[in-house]
Amino acid sequence: MSEHRIIAVIPLAWGQDALLATLGAAQRVSAEAGCEHEVILLGDSAESDLVPGAGFSSAARVQLLVHGQLADGENPLALARAAAQALAGQGAQSVLLVPPGAEGEELAAQLAAQLDATLLGRCTQLSWEDDGWVAERSVWGGRRTLSLRLNAALGVACLRLGKADSGGGQLAPEVVELGGSLPLPLELEQTRSEQRLAPVQGAGLVVSGGRGLNEQGFALLEEIAARLDAALAGSLPAVDAGMVPVARQVGISGHFVSADIYLAVGISGTPQHLAGISNETCILAVNKDPAADIFKVANVGVVAEWEQLLPALLEQLPG
Amino acid sequence: MNILVLLAGVADSRYPLHEVGLENGLISEAGQSRRILSPFDEGALELALKLRDQRPECRIEVLVLGGSNQDNLLRSVAAYKPDQLRCLQLQPSCPWDAALSSEQIADLLAREHLTPELVLIGREFGDLDEGGLPVMLAARLGLPLFALAQFAEWQDGQLSLLRERGTRQQWHRPQGPLVATVTNDRRNKLRHPLMKNVMMAKKMSFDCVQAPAQRPETVQPVALLPAREVQRGGHCHMLEGDVQAQATALLAYLRKEREA
Repeated sequence: MSEHRIIAVIPLAWGQDALLATLGAAQRVSAEAGCEHEVILLGDSAESDLVPGAGFSSAARVQLLVHGQLADGENPLALARAAAQALAGQGAQSVLLVPPGAEGEELAAQLAAQLDATLLGRCTQLSWEDDGWVAERSVWGGRRTLSLRLNAALGVACLRLGKADSGGGQLAPEVVELGGSLPLPLELEQTRSEQRLAPVQGAGLVVSGGRGLNEQGFALLEEIAARLDAALAGSLPAVDAGMVPVARQVGISGHFVSADIYLAVGISGTPQHLAGISNETCILAVNKDPAADIFKVANVGVVAEWEQLLPALLEQLPG
Repeated sequence: MNILVLLAGVADSRYPLHEVGLENGLISEAGQSRRILSPFDEGALELALKLRDQRPECRIEVLVLGGSNQDNLLRSVAAYKPDQLRCLQLQPSCPWDAALSSEQIADLLAREHLTPELVLIGREFGDLDEGGLPVMLAARLGLPLFALAQFAEWQDGQLSLLRERGTRQQWHRPQGPLVATVTNDRRNKLRHPLMKNVMMAKKMSFDCVQAPAQRPETVQPVALLPAREVQRGGHCHMLEGDVQAQATALLAYLRKEREA
């Protein structure tokens, strides 16, 4: 049998969701492929609350790479250079898994560039077949699936297969203090945006609108979100129409949300949009079209015009 | 300032996908393809146009990825009157391989001694890229990358690029050449071209530029399959009654779920 392995590369600053999603993918792929998985954590100290979590995932090895410039996790080039120091000279047929999402995809490409590895990108499946890794990617806007065979020693991928289970292990990480300097981040001037609502990442309740709404509809939705202490989100067509900022886009090219509840108003339910919502999330759908695809996947549905339903909801919510 | 805009186009999602397949390890396309600019392509082009509006000495060169429906795609871009517009032919064309495609483009720029101060490219380059190509292109070119730009303008003579992260706005003022990936935003929605320019573009023909490279065998497509079905719960419980009753039931369900 060929030697092969999965290595999860996780910046600690990206939080628990990123950690659990990456470990979950590493656990499942390695279990099905009959190989071990290892974990490389990137951070500025060993004191992070997230560090012990990696050891519970049944990983064969956990390394924590420590460098002062990895504190905020906002410099993908520095993260990639740091990880590359630990990954140079990988002998096995390995696939690096990084956290899924836009930031992870950028990190994956930086890692591929730094390590001269093959970028597999945003995958929907990864399996070991006939002594080689085979990845599946969704292409043409989710209308076809492309199956790719990795013929190189090292590939890099993002994959979302659910959260990690406790593997029962209690492996302490090997702490490696990285020397030398890492690339500096771009100089940025930061200000607060006009957004009054919490970001969609990490929100327990997300109130989201699609192309079925107009600006007035989004104003009502924003007020509902504020009164419910929820995050506001939108589909790609709503972002394209300028009704909601791209930072709040949910879907294959936007954010992935694992909220408890997703209230979808005027959203048809395309596969591209649904790819941004966790399978564990309860979807409440409002659409005027009883045949809308969103009702095929929602837990609760309301066939109604938003012009009537949203004011009725607001009336019943305390201001 | 010399601005290079790289545009890939995507199949128009409002229509059924044209016939696509795999032939000798490459993508084959047949039938009536409706490739149009993606929202990310449009954002990249619009930001370049905005910068030229403010400073007419800006020179915009556009490379449009060749392939199906390329003449129509080129014409749609020509209507915005870039200073130079050419069709980019990757040889071989392996759009799933970001490393190869970025190498082909970087080699082309080197061969033609193109040294743009700003490279604008959509955050995803076409239907088979998921954001890897722009990042790897910046690495190949040895240029810093500003990812997911939403707006660009000149501030006191200095190029300024904006993006939002959560509830923060981040402005970057590059001190040298830069690659910026562009994401869709209301501030970079592509303007409508002037009708006279649309008519002029219909009569134009376009130069092609070849970007050859040796094809590595590091990643090979082995199958192109129908999309996988989304596996989700279903069994939707529909709330009946008038709108008031529906709103009451919806809120009650929402509160119950939140408490659980």
